[in-house]
Amino acid sequence: MPPAGRTRRRRPWTFHLLGYALVAPLGLLMLGVIGYPLINTVLLSLQNQGVVGSQSTFVGLENYAQALTDSALWAAIGRSGIWLFGNLLVQTLMAFGTALIIGGRSRWSRASRTWVLFPWVIPTVAVAVIWQWLSNSNYGIVPKIASAVGIDGLGSPFGDSALAMPALILMNSWHWFPLGAVVIFGALQTIPNEIYEAARVDGANAWRMFWRITFPLLQPVLFALGLVGSLWSFNIVDSIYLVTKGGPADASMTAPVFIYNKAFNQFQASDAAAVSVITIILLAAVAAVYIRAAKPKEDQ
Amino acid sequence: MRYGKFKRLTAVAAVSVLGLAAAACGGSSGSAGNDKTLVLWHMEQPPNRVQGFQQLIDAYNATDPEYQVQAQVQDWNQIYTKIAGAVQSQTQPDILFTIPDFTTYVRPLGEVRPVTSLVEELDQAHTFGEAAKAPYRDDDEYWAVPLFGMVQMLWYRADLLQAAGISEPPRTTAELLAAAERLSSGDQNGIALPAGRNLATDQVLYSLMLTTGAGDFFTESGEINFNTPETVRALTLYRDLLKFSPSDSGNYSWGEPQAAFNSGAAAMAIEKGQYLAPFEQESGRPASDLGCAPIPVAESGGQPGSIYYSNAAMVMSKDDEKAAGAEEFLRFVLQPENYGTLLNAEPGLFLPLTADGATAESWTSNEVVQKYRGCVEAMLKQSETGALFGFVDGQYVDSVGKISGQNVLAQVVQRMYSNGESPEAAAQWGEEQMRAAVAE
Repeated sequence: MPPAGRTRRRRPWTFHLLGYALVAPLGLLMLGVIGYPLINTVLLSLQNQGVVGSQSTFVGLENYAQALTDSALWAAIGRSGIWLFGNLLVQTLMAFGTALIIGGRSRWSRASRTWVLFPWVIPTVAVAVIWQWLSNSNYGIVPKIASAVGIDGLGSPFGDSALAMPALILMNSWHWFPLGAVVIFGALQTIPNEIYEAARVDGANAWRMFWRITFPLLQPVLFALGLVGSLWSFNIVDSIYLVTKGGPADASMTAPVFIYNKAFNQFQASDAAAVSVITIILLAAVAAVYIRAAKPKEDQ
Repeated sequence: MRYGKFKRLTAVAAVSVLGLAAAACGGSSGSAGNDKTLVLWHMEQPPNRVQGFQQLIDAYNATDPEYQVQAQVQDWNQIYTKIAGAVQSQTQPDILFTIPDFTTYVRPLGEVRPVTSLVEELDQAHTFGEAAKAPYRDDDEYWAVPLFGMVQMLWYRADLLQAAGISEPPRTTAELLAAAERLSSGDQNGIALPAGRNLATDQVLYSLMLTTGAGDFFTESGEINFNTPETVRALTLYRDLLKFSPSDSGNYSWGEPQAAFNSGAAAMAIEKGQYLAPFEQESGRPASDLGCAPIPVAESGGQPGSIYYSNAAMVMSKDDEKAAGAEEFLRFVLQPENYGTLLNAEPGLFLPLTADGATAESWTSNEVVQKYRGCVEAMLKQSETGALFGFVDGQYVDSVGKISGQNVLAQVVQRMYSNGESPEAAAQWGEEQMRAAVAE
């Protein structure tokens, strides 16, 4: 609000033009790198293109109607939910635990800050290969150790429809938890020691200090990590595709793998585009709910 | 800074951004003009194969042709995506290696040139086997030049069979099943079979489908006819064999069965000739321990067979002169004195397709080919009864790429193996899936 007694001077129209002109390059760039692919996807979803780049005709909302009645899509979205929450839970727990360990003051804690980043810097394809090697029934170290302690015939969980998804969640969480650990570790450093000292003087034990001080003060960071981590995890294709291709028997066929499969294995580009648009809308809705649910706490 | 200057700067910035964007969108098809390079895409990634192909290309380039060939290695798993994108952006290679079903996928993209006169000329000069060229003929034209063949065999560890008291390799499917059971004990599996969702599983199942009488799952008019008693019999056999395969077969592709075989964790496997070259080094066993036999045949209603297909090269140059240059390179490859360099990029796996190639010294002098001459001869013999689905008995089912591209056969196996579905239910599902794929 302008100070009392002073009226707001109207800016000349040329001033506003300058503003628009200054943001125009960025606007154009955004339109190119985000707008064009999105618009192209929507247009593709309204056609009947099979092989990407082949001839097609306009079919309206037919692909959407087909997709929404496809039980395989809903099953894939359900698996995506399991994948998302599994990753979120395991990654957050691993990250939190690790952050508390590396946040200590011992020499070991300080040294571990460096090597805890190790899984994060490994390329996804290498992670996939390493985990497949580890669990292979012929030459994997895990079945060999299991055999040494009397558990014979242990095969790779990635080949088992009941174990593939949990194993993939564990593999993916191992790959990405250092990011969360470093962020939480950074946030922990911002909590003043005085608060803990005051609590200690008041007789609070470690658990109460964690629950009443650490956890509430970390909430904004955990919220941001949760949102980014959810969207990130949901969209992962490479880890799953490299190891199981969505199998065995669709046991790890999440929505993004389902889309990839439709576009490039089943050669249904337009159907894949329609499913992509549906998942974008779903994700946007989840993100909106998430942001809305967290916002009042931030404002307090 | 004055507003006018701001405006000019802004305009310059906007034009620069637009210019950069336009430049990024431009690209180049790399055709015609002064560009004297022929880009060749192949999907044979193992280092020895890359090196072997490069050796051949270097030999050709040393002849100082008008167009020099440049190889770019691609991935079979990614090529469907990449070639579609490349054609869309007009940056497709001049020469693209292919197999019959992949050709049916690439042709509708509209940039494959017919090579009929070249194939006929090469046939006159070197004599192709009929099975090598037939899958590439459609609409009265040849669409690719056949280069080398691949066929599957039953591989067995002679030492392990002997230890189990089995004197001869199995000849029938019943003997195969019995041998797999007898060879399974402790840490050793009777056979290693792939059951992952991949081409490896498609191909091993199809070999057994051929020998159990279920090889042709298209009617004469090209309709799907998968759900038959013969198919169910083949699926039952595969399911039963998987009981004697390592417990993580559901994730197996090409490499895992071979690793199990060479380590002695599996006594048998069904695959192509890539088993020859690394056997001694990887297994630590003498070459005589590696045995090979035709794919076992069903006691009744079966016939000798194995999955077999010729690998070939398509010409995709936009420019006529470059296309002629590409054809010149392919002529060079099939000359008997050069052919061995291509085949020995993976000796035993890449089999000759021409009459003079089969006796070419450049191929037969290879150490691996000489050492395993018996198996190589057996593979050439097996090739005579080999087939590929969609191309059985002279058929050309142009929608077969949609079936192989999504590994429907492998998915059928996974439904039995991982979901415990009956062979009947899996065959029914496979039929529906194939019909849906073809209808798209």
